[in-house]
Amino acid sequence: MSSANTENIHLPASASTPLVDFRFDAHQLRLEGESYPENAAAFYGPLAEGLKAYVAGLQGGEQVEVHVALSYFNSSSTKMLFGLFDTLNQAAEQGHRIALHWYHDKEDDIAEEFGEELHVDFPALAFHAHPAD
Amino acid sequence: MTEQKYYEFLDYAQQREVLFYYVGYFSQNIISTMAETVRLHLETNGVPASTRRRLFSSFVEMAQNIVHYSAASLPSPQDGEIRYGSVCIGREGDNYFLLCANPVEAAELERLRSRLDSLSQMSLEDIKQAYKVSLRAQTPEGSKGADLGFLTVARDASAPLQSSFRNSGPDGQAMFYLKAII
Repeated sequence: MSSANTENIHLPASASTPLVDFRFDAHQLRLEGESYPENAAAFYGPLAEGLKAYVAGLQGGEQVEVHVALSYFNSSSTKMLFGLFDTLNQAAEQGHRIALHWYHDKEDDIAEEFGEELHVDFPALAFHAHPAD
Repeated sequence: MTEQKYYEFLDYAQQREVLFYYVGYFSQNIISTMAETVRLHLETNGVPASTRRRLFSSFVEMAQNIVHYSAASLPSPQDGEIRYGSVCIGREGDNYFLLCANPVEAAELERLRSRLDSLSQMSLEDIKQAYKVSLRAQTPEGSKGADLGFLTVARDASAPLQSSFRNSGPDGQAMFYLKAII
């Protein structure tokens, strides 16, 4: 099955969960907003499943763009995000082209450091940090 | 409480530069509403962005810890949990502090005490290292992520976390207190 067949995921943002816009058919994935759900595993579980199915169906030759702009993410979300990036990194190690765009407030040193860690831990991803005012 | 006592209570809080105090039942909805207010308060008071981030982060970790682990709960009509505790944010000289309290079961007490004791002995470098390990470790079955939560608060604090327990009932429950200076 090609990854174009994986169902897109679109969830509007809430006070404590981010906007999720996974357009698998266009190879554009976006997370944006706040992330501190009561149960991070329950929120991120279906996203992780969708992502795994998507990368398993990549044909090769696609350019995958992942945009993550989270103004705040709590500890349990951090763990779940780490799992998503691990899935992407494994796909990139198999030769798929995947770019991770990491957006953060330029004064937010915690988000900046986490981005740097992702860069080190997941070297197969093309990492782009986007500090903003 | 008489009106007079309530005035005294409010004066006491003001003298100790308490910016925010809540005691009662916590749910995810209450946390997100309080979090919005705390963020707005810190923004309008010109608190530097990196301090704001640390205060906000520690506030959410502490409040969610209450929702997940407090020994006193209300039956919840929906999916989420509703549990009892207290959170306080204030100023102390040049620093901000956060305090939280909630009852814990007797069976949990020793595990929690030894975890926090070892955390308070760790340097910031040790804490960052333990955080990295915990982030990459498999989550134990049934865990709601408290370990990474405490490490996150410890990482954001400018001094070792302070914790204590006070016996509060014949059933062995204790009141757990945690303080973080940001």
